[in-house]
Amino acid sequence: MSYGDALQSLENLLESFLERAVAAKEERLQVLSGINRLDDIARATKDSGDFTDNLGEWFAEHNSWLSGDGLRPADALRINEILTEIREGLTTSADTSLALDKLGSEIDRWGQRATSTTQKLVLKRGPETPTESAEGSIDLFDRVLNRVTNLYADFSGSRQHILSALDDSLESAKEQKSKDALLLSAFIIYYLKLNNYLVDPYVKRLKEAESVIISEKRHA
Amino acid sequence: MLNQSEKAYCEALLDLKHKDYRAAAEHFDAAVLNFKDNREFNLLRETTNLLLAVKAERQGLDSKDKIEIEEVFSYGQEENLR
Repeated sequence: MSYGDALQSLENLLESFLERAVAAKEERLQVLSGINRLDDIARATKDSGDFTDNLGEWFAEHNSWLSGDGLRPADALRINEILTEIREGLTTSADTSLALDKLGSEIDRWGQRATSTTQKLVLKRGPETPTESAEGSIDLFDRVLNRVTNLYADFSGSRQHILSALDDSLESAKEQKSKDALLLSAFIIYYLKLNNYLVDPYVKRLKEAESVIISEKRHA
Repeated sequence: MLNQSEKAYCEALLDLKHKDYRAAAEHFDAAVLNFKDNREFNLLRETTNLLLAVKAERQGLDSKDKIEIEEVFSYGQEENLR
């Protein structure tokens, strides 16, 4: 095989890999692309104010998301956040045409979808008295803390930076559905936030891992 | 709203889907600030860069071949060949 043939073969291999990698994420990419486009519309809203056609098209194109289950709770929340920003622009606008009214009610409909997928966790407990159960919760948390510390030692052992340890921790939380890894990830993210790191993508991944774990628990 | 890195990563994936590898590399570069520790991001970015390098190397080989062909007819030697 000549050098040119070897290069051609490598080029084909790399193109094939990228093609398959993107194809594997096709469904996710469609969602991200839709959110990205909505974000562009929201930005255009602030710049020019002329967005009704684009937003109407977006609603028509993505209407199936409201009825299907392809949308993750985190995605629904993200969409709701962007639509809320657009909604604020609508309410401050002097123009109150029929088209804007329709868009407003469509935004409300999407907002209901977001709230219906949001998991609310309500913790209830009795009055705090020094009973056996109170001692139990201290012991329980103590054990969790030890496990999380050991987990951190595993993740950080061969790493140069805490972000790499966080990446491993988030991966473990999502892929292995590890609650300890989820707690560790949240702890590291909060630590980084207090130290002025940009944590938004990690928070997003944390929420995704959390929904995976919650869903697993519900189906168990 | 989405931050610029998130938007750029999404654009890069769309570029890959449309096989626009040059644009994908540029969008990956724009997204690197927030995703530099994301293994999947790094894998796709480095593969794209490698692919562009391989394409450039192949183009280089092709253009070298053309120069060699042209040199056969250079230095005013045509008259001697007749």
